[in-house]
Amino acid sequence: MASRGTSHQIPEASMPTKAGPLLELKNLKMYFPITRGLFRRVVGHVKAVDDVSLTIRGNETLALVGESGCGKTTLGRCIVRIYDPTAGAINFVEENGDVTDLATLKGQSMKPYRQAVRMIFQDPYSSLNPRMTVLQIVGEPLKRHKIAHGTELEDRVADLLHKVGLRPEYIHRYPHAFSGGERQRIGIARALALYPRIVIADEAVSALDVSVQAQILNLLQDLQAEFHLTYLFVAHDLSVVEYLSDRVAVMYVGKLVELGTTAQIFAEPKHPYTEALLSAVPKPDPRLRDTGARIRLTGDVADNAHPPNGCYFHPRCRYCQDRCKDEEPAFHDIGQGRRSACHFVEELQLNGVKGV
Amino acid sequence: MSNSEVILEVKDLRTQFFTDEGVVKAVDGADFRVRRGKTVCLVGESGCGKSVTARSILQIVDKPGRIVEGEILLHRASGELVDLTKLSTTGKAMRAIRGKEIALIFQEPMTSLSPVHKIGNQIIEAIRLHFDIDKKEARARAVDLLNRVGIPNADRRIDTYVFQLSGGMRQRAMIAMALSCRPNLLIADEPTTALDVTTEATILDLIKDLQKDLNMTIMFITHDLGVVAEIADDVVVMYLGKVVERGDVDTIFHDPKHPYTRALQKSIPKLGQADRGRLETIRGMVPHPFARPHGCNFHPRCESFMPGVCDRIDPPFVTLSEGADVSCHLYGEADSDQKESLGSQEEA
Repeated sequence: MASRGTSHQIPEASMPTKAGPLLELKNLKMYFPITRGLFRRVVGHVKAVDDVSLTIRGNETLALVGESGCGKTTLGRCIVRIYDPTAGAINFVEENGDVTDLATLKGQSMKPYRQAVRMIFQDPYSSLNPRMTVLQIVGEPLKRHKIAHGTELEDRVADLLHKVGLRPEYIHRYPHAFSGGERQRIGIARALALYPRIVIADEAVSALDVSVQAQILNLLQDLQAEFHLTYLFVAHDLSVVEYLSDRVAVMYVGKLVELGTTAQIFAEPKHPYTEALLSAVPKPDPRLRDTGARIRLTGDVADNAHPPNGCYFHPRCRYCQDRCKDEEPAFHDIGQGRRSACHFVEELQLNGVKGV
Repeated sequence: MSNSEVILEVKDLRTQFFTDEGVVKAVDGADFRVRRGKTVCLVGESGCGKSVTARSILQIVDKPGRIVEGEILLHRASGELVDLTKLSTTGKAMRAIRGKEIALIFQEPMTSLSPVHKIGNQIIEAIRLHFDIDKKEARARAVDLLNRVGIPNADRRIDTYVFQLSGGMRQRAMIAMALSCRPNLLIADEPTTALDVTTEATILDLIKDLQKDLNMTIMFITHDLGVVAEIADDVVVMYLGKVVERGDVDTIFHDPKHPYTRALQKSIPKLGQADRGRLETIRGMVPHPFARPHGCNFHPRCESFMPGVCDRIDPPFVTLSEGADVSCHLYGEADSDQKESLGSQEEA
């Protein structure tokens, strides 16, 4: 990460080892029951997250991409334990090397990890309480964890506001007095208040205007360098993902379909779904109009409650063969640290995005 | 540009909202033309007045807003010329234009379609409002439209409610409704913003195909420059209620003149250019609607700000070449020495 943002290089010695895993998801499942009738009989399950295994390394930015309804937000929310996962483990590696499974922690025992794992929400308008001042919003976590109170609390909040590029004088204002970009900065300050190790950013820039989005993206990078943060960046905008992340995980109907470094995924996708996603992104240059092969996905994202047999993507896949209809592909290793869930990884020649 | 080529002319349009706290000048002197059969994109950040411009054209500005000045000239194919601002907002003449001659697609189909009526009935209502045909015929036409916009099993889907459809299908139903009376001008207000990239791509293709088939003019409102590059012929860039630059799509992307257009171009991450370091940003925020800056609206955020000029005088429109105009002192009659020194600064 230090290679990006040239003005914010950190000396090598202070860099935490990048290779070590920080968070390991093992066969994580989150099923929501569908109930019917007076007695709320369970008639089925929406498999929002279905058997996801993923390792997030320290100090990296891992992007989680996919269409709406693919379960990427649910996965983020499971990690912060807004939801209680149905099955699986969320192994968190502590600074001393101990491993704790966050998925099974209850009540007070979860509290120390609420400091280490924080979240930035998508909508800066609905995620800040309109009846609380900035001091209360950003200071709340510090108070709850008995880290600071009184004037010390005010000083720390002012310091945090300064770090995210807001003027400390605004500390007693209410959220309505701020624009969307400023509110998102407040949300970021709140997430950083407890010096977390990993931040789940759920579509953190999707609701912002382009000029403000660029400011927030730069801010996220600066903060990562300063606080040695690890990001799980949940997003659907692929140009933002390419800009910000080190590795990309592609999700489709509750399952991961591809994992690799950003350069690998964008240059040489190894799953037909990734290829289709990349080709759908509008190219910001009119001279490139109608150039290159465009893939149009027909139909909708498969229903999480009644996914198709075999590969979930087969009804929309243009390379679909008989095997795809019956046999579910494994999310297998394809070398160079990459994984893909496609039967025909070896045979297919898929197109990525070429440099403009 | 001869007049037969132009379908709509917006001249010095000013739409203001009279709130208790003060007057919000949502559209403050918008000037542009829409060429017949072409796609014009209105681009700008939120709050720049692009949606209010669209609503002003159809005379559906919500209270306490109203058009206080300006002309909106609709050129009919017959050569007739109508000034829409002169028509009564609730009058017969205006109601005959809405939906029939000019149709609108809204951003959020979930909130703009009725949740308690079947989509078919909503389309049939629109058809029967403008054409004197019976229910059966109108229904056949509605099924035909739904087929055309790519809704599978249209004869069954016509009897579904909005909540039973996915986001992309809802937007298709919305488009079918807008096309039901074969409008000459289709205004699409951020029709793909709420959709996934894959769905967005198919909806954009659909709009392009329909335009070709029906020879429609499209006014497309968006903040996404990627979408603009995909579909626009002409581009109108707006900032704080004013048009700052007009031009064809190639000029706007490859030779933008206004500092705002340039800054906007630089601040978007471009796909396929890995490791570009930091993004360039536009400093500051969009100003508060009650506190518009004096002179050029953009001067507090501008890289090429000229003290004493930009913060005092409203920049006039300068025509640089055929169909490319910019509202900026850098290209106006301002002191040429000053201009040159600024030009060299910029290059550095």
